[in-house]
Amino acid sequence: MSKFQKTLKKAAGQKMLYIMIVPCMIYTFIFSYYPLSGWIMAFQNYKPAKGYFGSPFVGFDQFMFLFKDVEFWRSVRNTLAMSLMNLIFSFIFAIVFALLLNEIKSLGMKRITQTVSYLPHFLSWIIVCSLVSNALSTSDGMLNNALMALGLIEKPVLWLGEQKYFWWVTTFSSVWKETGWNSIIYIAAISGIDQALYEAAELDGAGRFQKMWHVTLPGIKSTIVVLLIMNLGWVLNASFEVPYILGNGLLQDVSQTIDIFVLKYGMSIGNYSLATAAGIFKSVISLGLVFGTNAIANKLGENSLM
Amino acid sequence: MCQILERKVYEMKMKKLCAMLLASSMILSLAACGSGDGGQQSGQDSSVQESSSEQSETKESPAESGSEGGEAENQGPLAGVAPMEDADDPITYTFFVRDPGQAPADNNPVIQKITELTGVTLKFEFLVGDLDQKLGTMIAGSDYPDVIFAGDAATKLMDAGAFIPLEDEIPKYPNLNAMYGNVMKYLTQADGHVYNMEIYGTFQNDVTEVAPPFECGIGFYIQKAVLEEAGYPEIHTLDEYFKVIEDYMEKHPDIDGVPTSGFEILGDGWRNWALLNPAQNLLGAGNEGAIFVDQQTFETSFYQISDTAHDFYKKLNEEYLKGVIVPETLTQSYDEYISKITTGAVLGFYDQNWNFGSAQNLLKADGKYNRTYVCLPITNPGVKDGYLDKSNGIPTATNGVGITINCENPERLMRFFDWLCQREVQDYLQWGEEGVDWNYTEDGGKALTPERRAIAYDTARNRDETGHTLWNYCPKWQGIYKSDNMPCGAGESPDEYLASQSDYDRQFLEAYGIKYPAELFSDPIIRPQYYPVWAMNLEDGSPAAVASTKITDVTMKCYPRLILAKDEAEYESLWADFLKEFNAIDLDAYQSEVDRQIAEKMAK
Repeated sequence: MSKFQKTLKKAAGQKMLYIMIVPCMIYTFIFSYYPLSGWIMAFQNYKPAKGYFGSPFVGFDQFMFLFKDVEFWRSVRNTLAMSLMNLIFSFIFAIVFALLLNEIKSLGMKRITQTVSYLPHFLSWIIVCSLVSNALSTSDGMLNNALMALGLIEKPVLWLGEQKYFWWVTTFSSVWKETGWNSIIYIAAISGIDQALYEAAELDGAGRFQKMWHVTLPGIKSTIVVLLIMNLGWVLNASFEVPYILGNGLLQDVSQTIDIFVLKYGMSIGNYSLATAAGIFKSVISLGLVFGTNAIANKLGENSLM
Repeated sequence: MCQILERKVYEMKMKKLCAMLLASSMILSLAACGSGDGGQQSGQDSSVQESSSEQSETKESPAESGSEGGEAENQGPLAGVAPMEDADDPITYTFFVRDPGQAPADNNPVIQKITELTGVTLKFEFLVGDLDQKLGTMIAGSDYPDVIFAGDAATKLMDAGAFIPLEDEIPKYPNLNAMYGNVMKYLTQADGHVYNMEIYGTFQNDVTEVAPPFECGIGFYIQKAVLEEAGYPEIHTLDEYFKVIEDYMEKHPDIDGVPTSGFEILGDGWRNWALLNPAQNLLGAGNEGAIFVDQQTFETSFYQISDTAHDFYKKLNEEYLKGVIVPETLTQSYDEYISKITTGAVLGFYDQNWNFGSAQNLLKADGKYNRTYVCLPITNPGVKDGYLDKSNGIPTATNGVGITINCENPERLMRFFDWLCQREVQDYLQWGEEGVDWNYTEDGGKALTPERRAIAYDTARNRDETGHTLWNYCPKWQGIYKSDNMPCGAGESPDEYLASQSDYDRQFLEAYGIKYPAELFSDPIIRPQYYPVWAMNLEDGSPAAVASTKITDVTMKCYPRLILAKDEAEYESLWADFLKEFNAIDLDAYQSEVDRQIAEKMAK
């Protein structure tokens, strides 16, 4: 029996499973792979009225337009910077928050804290951004008031008018909004850790922090790695709302992200080809990031995603 | 919060009051009808009717139907108007409107009356969601309602062949022909057909002329209290403007407990004109767009990098250094801007009146009339201001209603539109009934009654109790009737404008010796055919479109920095940086496209 025949026989035995997976594959094909045919737009000067077949091919012109534009590279830089800062800080905050929450012994208190902390997740960015801009206002803004009361600054700082603060503003807005929500999955992972390990650690004389460091953290390490890999795939997609809403002319150099660039130079002026080209660029980079991290995780001996 | 609450309470009180007034006035009008003074009313109508010759044809039929006892049915408003001959054969047309909104209530008395006299019911469908998607779905399935008003997006429907040609139809109907006959060449599309009856604007015709604007719609606004305190000076330059603001600020560091803000500059997203546009107005242009056009030679140039722009932002920079402009104004959102104006502590800003109207309405509701604003004709010294427009009477050829290929009886619909355009019907739709909704003033003009005015300011009641929706989305007369100088609608009536003003405002206008605020400006300018540049269509994804976006981008980025420069030296070096960045744009792509379109439109 050749290898192929063996495989066939095995498949025949799993017929039901294959039948069950068919709808999922059709779904994936229709909604994930079929739309990729639209990528052809990126190599055309696409006009909706003419369609794919009537629009002229222009080769890599759309990509050249992107790569030659200083603004575009600035957008790439801003996107990467804001997304990575966002990723790092939201990871740290979520994990630390989950660890601390796990240490609360009063069940009621724990539940209340958890609920309160993930409520901001359900607010839209429009609301969060207006809260942020209120808090940072120079006239009676919370932050300026607090800093002035403490004597740290003499006159209010125009937080949303200075480029050096902007990335921090976006980072901490999303930390504030998402920490509670992001920590849910870690809390779930923590609750799955075998209690016997804690008891053993206690017998060995481990204190609270030592238990956190030697039992809890290693227990959720694989969860952390999987989430990290998954989130890295979104790095280039994750920065539109906050920079778009809080950005202004003064901040344009640090607040314009790839998505905003595409909105201005692609969608707004009807250049769908350019928007598609930028989309392909993003996909390629994201794919690279995911595979790269995956490989590193493999090397480090962690369960990788693929 | 508190203000909103107060306003709610105020509105409720007003509503109750209006309802009572309305009820009592209805009883009175019923009584009036019963006592049979219909004769007087119809006498008035016929005198008006004679004024336009086109209507004499339609006048023949009322005599006929009148003799058959139509008199008994058709009393009250529109007593002298002949019903359409097939009025007892009801028909419904579906009508899609590109605006979000609501259809008028079924028991709307005005629309009921119209249906009674014509047999025609228009079933309005307003936009929900995204217009392009809605039209796309319609086009994909050829699933059109009978009538569509799609605004600019009408071109899509025309391309798809959704509309029936009207160039041979319009001349058959006297009122419609009077309205559109003279502008047919502008309504004609590239394929030689007319698909649209434009509904906004006064077009070149023999019946009406353009009404003068009462207020300037765009420019440098100043709080009336500032002018009052300065003794109502005439202000024409930036220096004079900021001088009175500074003087007022010095005396009143805060207003009602809120720190006074001298000058606000809104630059939030697409609401960026306060930041980008003023220099063109200082040069004497109107609200043109991203380029300056010489009105004699039609030569174009970029005002963004002119000496005027340099000096304007320099002036703003000086005001920033003096503390008249607070830096936060450059980072604030539209909502923050509006709530700031609502406090009454903002002395001046550059804006378009509809953009801050909501704030001004709240100030009025609070009775703070001295905190409302007036626009000033500010230009470079010695330059004649060009803020005010007078329509050139040329239609856009897209902004109108079209009848679709799915409409089964377009002839009757055209006849209905024509019927609506009779003077009496137009007056009824816009003004309502004399004595109930409006009255003649001492000067012989027309003004709404206070009750009717309250209805007009209340969107829901205006929709459900007046003919507004029907009037708004059908072909209609706008402007001033040439025959008797009467305004077509309340919005065009100087007497109504005056009557709707508060005592404070009347006093303010008196102090300047003017009838309405627009008189502070030079006479409205009738713009050339191409005007304005901002309305020009740039081809999707073309270099001109890219350049236009870049121009906005670079100016949005650099102007705020200039305003916040630390000193003169920094200002000059930032200005040099700005010039370098601006000139790096493919300016020629944009300019040559604008030049091309101007030449093309001027040749028409």
